Amino acid sequence: MNGFYWLASYPKSGNTWMRLALWALNHGKPVDFAAFPYWIPLSASRLLFDDALGVESSDLTHTEIECLRPRAFEVMARNADQPMLRKVDEAWIRTAAGEPLFPPSVTLGTILIVRDPRDVAVSLAHHMGMGIDEAIRAMANPRAGFCAQVRQADHQLWRRLLTWSGHVESWLDAPDIRLLLVRYEDMIARMPEELGRVARFLGWDTSAAALAAAAEEARFDRLRAQEERHGFAERPVSAERFFRRGKAGGWRDTLSPAQAARIESDHAAVMTRLGYL
Amino acid sequence: MTTLHALCGLKVAADLPLPDLLPWRGDDRAPDVTIRQGDVPDRLDAPVVDDPLLQMAADGACRFAVSGVAAYLVEGGRTVTVRAEMDPAAPDVRIFLLGTVFGLLCAQRGLLPLHACCVALGGRAVAFSGVSGAGKSTLAAAFRRRGFPVLADDVAVVDVEAPGGPLVLPSFPRIRLWRDTMDALALPHDGLERSRPELEKFHLPLDDGFQAEPLPLAAVYHLEEVRPPAGGGVERLDALTAVRDLENAVYRSRLVRRLLGPDRLFRMLARVAAAAPSHRLSRRRGLGDLDTQVSALIVRHGGGGNRG
Repeated sequence: MNGFYWLASYPKSGNTWMRLALWALNHGKPVDFAAFPYWIPLSASRLLFDDALGVESSDLTHTEIECLRPRAFEVMARNADQPMLRKVDEAWIRTAAGEPLFPPSVTLGTILIVRDPRDVAVSLAHHMGMGIDEAIRAMANPRAGFCAQVRQADHQLWRRLLTWSGHVESWLDAPDIRLLLVRYEDMIARMPEELGRVARFLGWDTSAAALAAAAEEARFDRLRAQEERHGFAERPVSAERFFRRGKAGGWRDTLSPAQAARIESDHAAVMTRLGYL
Repeated sequence: MTTLHALCGLKVAADLPLPDLLPWRGDDRAPDVTIRQGDVPDRLDAPVVDDPLLQMAADGACRFAVSGVAAYLVEGGRTVTVRAEMDPAAPDVRIFLLGTVFGLLCAQRGLLPLHACCVALGGRAVAFSGVSGAGKSTLAAAFRRRGFPVLADDVAVVDVEAPGGPLVLPSFPRIRLWRDTMDALALPHDGLERSRPELEKFHLPLDDGFQAEPLPLAAVYHLEEVRPPAGGGVERLDALTAVRDLENAVYRSRLVRRLLGPDRLFRMLARVAAAAPSHRLSRRRGLGDLDTQVSALIVRHGGGGNRG
């Protein structure tokens, strides 16, 4: 049976950047912003769920959907002829039925990208069009999720994020999973090497020259310029632009001391565990 | 008590309430389809399709179940057995009966179910296909508001092999709309039935806005969401793309392909593509451009005379 590589991260932690670099590496050419969005689908794609199970998820309750998602992943794995990559912004959880949402039996490995939560807060505020304090509160909300509304249908399924700490630890401590940890800060410092670690983890055959070329194509200023010309499909309506700063430690000139202290106290244990404190 | 209903021109006898369907007003022939409550096995023997919610036997019989709601056995395009796990009159039981189960029943009868809404424009049927959330029901509601009758909300059934076909067979006189869409279209939802108690998805009766007679299929539009800076528009598809996009628009395509057989399905799709031009209809998210696009489509299909 085939299975999935989960490319997991809390939102605004470099997941899209890594996927763009992987696209360039896989295709050996500059990133095509039109073709990119469908290349690595979202784990919470409504269309893929409906297709796998032959049902309209929009007629199912949140709990019914969550409990059926492991089955949908199993069907996709059974029907696949090669390993599949999925973007994951949700936490590793157990469903209401008590089983892992991401079944270990169809999990080939997990790449977990983490980023200093102080930078995540700034980026999240811009992305969601909210204030920084609101972003800090969202990152500390254990009930945080995406697409929870029951008054309209979204293209994405409802999913749980948990807190920033809860999210990161859910993946770090997920049982029976091969895990590769990647830091956003290391991607900034040395993208070719980090891309190489990911590619080797995925079992891709690659070379130092190809990695350097792909990292060059995924250079932040290039992506930003391309967004200005063509737009970027993953930009939410609430955000002015998707590719904003691409910087590590930018929080130092943006967060107030009180805001930084709040994040450090909310997430002290996990920040220490990851070396951010 | 058994009641008689019309569904795609078929005479349906049912022993559970089906208020979504029109009552049967035709001849006194034996029913074409019987829907009855009864026992449904927990599994089919030696299934050729064995998915979590659905199994299919070699003879095309299908078992579909949503845990806590109902299990359904669909056989020979003639019989549907329902084992409800809740009040059989609850809308939840009908939602899946008139969704996946309905699509399978059609395919067993050699009909082609498209994941599309369908409206009557200029005296012919125009179908708008799209995935869940693409805006099919919203379009149907917008045409309805402009006085154009609706044949189908979510599954448009095409009789490809009928004389004078492809013909679209009218399904049932209601559309389903999310609360946010109803609010945006200024449609009241008070007193309307919900699909599921947990979801704010309402059943809006079409009343006299239903096209109850079959109509020849005039055109197919595939809904596609675009983001700014791209704007909305219509693009005619070439023959090859038309067949490919029609294949993607088949409702429950993996299962329908099995039931019809790949060759027969391909012939049907090719015939639809030859008879009715296919287009890609790009739309931005939200309802901002809805009225403009609906007006353009009415003009395009000479539907002005229908305006109510």
